[in-house]
Amino acid sequence: MKRALSLAASVLGLALAGGSTAALADGQDYVTITRGQYLATAGDCVSCHTAPGGKPFAGGRGIMTPFGVIYTPNITPDRETGLGAWSNDDFVAAMQHGVGKDGELLYPALPYPYYTKVTRTDLVAIKAYLDTLDPVRNEAPPNGLPFPLNIRTALMGWNMLFFTPGEFQPVAGKSDEWNRGAYLVEGLGHCGACHTPKNALGGDKGDKVLAGGVLDEWTAPNLGGDLRTGLGAWSTEDIVQYLKTGRNAKSAASGPMAEVVYYSTQHMTDADLKAMATYLKDRAGAPAPVAPQPVAATDPVMQAGLAIYQDNCSACHVSSGEGIARLFPALKGSAVVQADEPETLVRVVVQGTRAAATRAAPTGPGMPAFDWKLSDAQVASLLTYIRNAWGNAAAPVSADTVKKIHGRLTDTAATP
Amino acid sequence: MAGHKTDPMISRRALLASTAAAALVGSTQAKARFLSGEVPWAPGAATPPEPALPGGWIYFTPDEARAVEAIVERLIPADELSPSGKDAGCAVFIDRQLAGPYGGAERLYMKPPFVAGTAPEFGPQSPLSPAQQYRVALKSLDAYCRSNFGGKGFAELAPEERDKVLAAMEKGEPKFDGFGSRPFFNLVLQNTMEGFFADPIYGGNRDMVGWKLIGFPGARYDYRDFIDHVTEPYTLPPVSLQGRAGWNPGR
Repeated sequence: MKRALSLAASVLGLALAGGSTAALADGQDYVTITRGQYLATAGDCVSCHTAPGGKPFAGGRGIMTPFGVIYTPNITPDRETGLGAWSNDDFVAAMQHGVGKDGELLYPALPYPYYTKVTRTDLVAIKAYLDTLDPVRNEAPPNGLPFPLNIRTALMGWNMLFFTPGEFQPVAGKSDEWNRGAYLVEGLGHCGACHTPKNALGGDKGDKVLAGGVLDEWTAPNLGGDLRTGLGAWSTEDIVQYLKTGRNAKSAASGPMAEVVYYSTQHMTDADLKAMATYLKDRAGAPAPVAPQPVAATDPVMQAGLAIYQDNCSACHVSSGEGIARLFPALKGSAVVQADEPETLVRVVVQGTRAAATRAAPTGPGMPAFDWKLSDAQVASLLTYIRNAWGNAAAPVSADTVKKIHGRLTDTAATP
Repeated sequence: MAGHKTDPMISRRALLASTAAAALVGSTQAKARFLSGEVPWAPGAATPPEPALPGGWIYFTPDEARAVEAIVERLIPADELSPSGKDAGCAVFIDRQLAGPYGGAERLYMKPPFVAGTAPEFGPQSPLSPAQQYRVALKSLDAYCRSNFGGKGFAELAPEERDKVLAAMEKGEPKFDGFGSRPFFNLVLQNTMEGFFADPIYGGNRDMVGWKLIGFPGARYDYRDFIDHVTEPYTLPPVSLQGRAGWNPGR
């Protein structure tokens, strides 16, 4: 796997051009396959289509959705259990329209609402790459979805409501770099799968694109320009560094984002990363949420939180909340610390976490679990403190909220 | 390195020594793990310290417990600086320690020969584990007090009488059966100090009284904010491995 990815990185020069039509002759040529490999990496297919401890791309990983667990299929070219019998048209239909080989509707756990923006040329290249993998015989376990969600035709209504098919159309008046970034962010990168909040039926909230979401008790922060909860304080270079190395001077990727960095973005070209950052910094985001009045430092809960912070956290995150650049994330000014949803904060304090260990930053510093010494009420005080200290401002976290999130935590999202 | 002479004898000797050491290491079961790549990490993994069990005495009989409480109360008497060793939980600490691996001498070499009168660097020379030493010596202490103080056990003696007995034990004057009065005095003194200053989760140092007495900040490991202010007092209160009252609002 890793060798395959570094091969992808080594042919970056070839893989760069988004709309290259150089090698469409038969889909079997080296240029198309290596470009497909790069694109499959940019789309992070391997992350979901690999079971823990399983063969890469052979599927079987359980994706936790609010509706039940959905197991990813095998996308190696095995004829019976994989994509071996799929034509390019079958593959494009699945990716652009969410329709399987036999016409069945696919669950949007396959992020086809985003992949629909990927050009047919790129999809055919990805298929050409997948066809070069060793076929693995592996049938995914049946999904754990309740009635009526287990009836796939129910998805017709879902698609009508929440799915707009169509390849990405470059925006006139924006640079090629901006459009390349938009193509990657909105399409293959499927950033919105986590970072766009979902409605009760799991569809994107159209007015809150990339405004921050929650999945499997992880908070995916707002990617808008808000200074407090978004990317406002991050420069283009900060974003590139984060995606390339898993760290920057302010933060570190952990949980599902660590997977994204580990399997996908660290292998992408600097030009593509810069394009994504350029687009993210320039796009018109959803209106920023209004900052609440910070909880007063004299509040007894803040005092308790300060004591817990001094005794447990300050050794790494520093009493000023500024952390240590590229090692321990800053909490001061952090978007995830001030996000409306405290899921990541509860998870990280209760279970600990680890930053992605990348080629550029191979250490992967870890944070230990604190549930053995902090009660849910103490975690709540601590979180209320870090959300309202050092100029931060966010709603306090109640012991009840901590208890609820704590009870739902799984260890499925271990950092790679 | 220009000015240094190399001595071929020494380097040969060093080589031989290191070979011998390698042979020694190689012949024992290696407990170390080799790690490559990333440091292992798993969600929720922790090896928390095991707190002392709450409740009544675990190792001591009620009579033994009374005697040990009476001893630690005199070794660390209550005064204006701190509560007594008894009130700080030193006897509880000793009880829990004697019930555990320390009491069972699990980490001591306990095979004969045991030779009396060896230098300290030869280590303890008793066939008895610490738990057995307490049992045997407390029995002797009880007998000694009953025959010298009108049938009273140590715990029933007046404070001054207890001090007299302890002072005599420190000099090794009372003849104890099986484990000498002087080594026993040293053992209890050592364990009492440990109980007074160990983390409260082990049963002693109740409310961190020992740490407050000497200004020890407890289980902390970040002094960067204070390292440049050596002339100013350190203001953070002590903290145990399991926290402090201030972690709860309004405390």
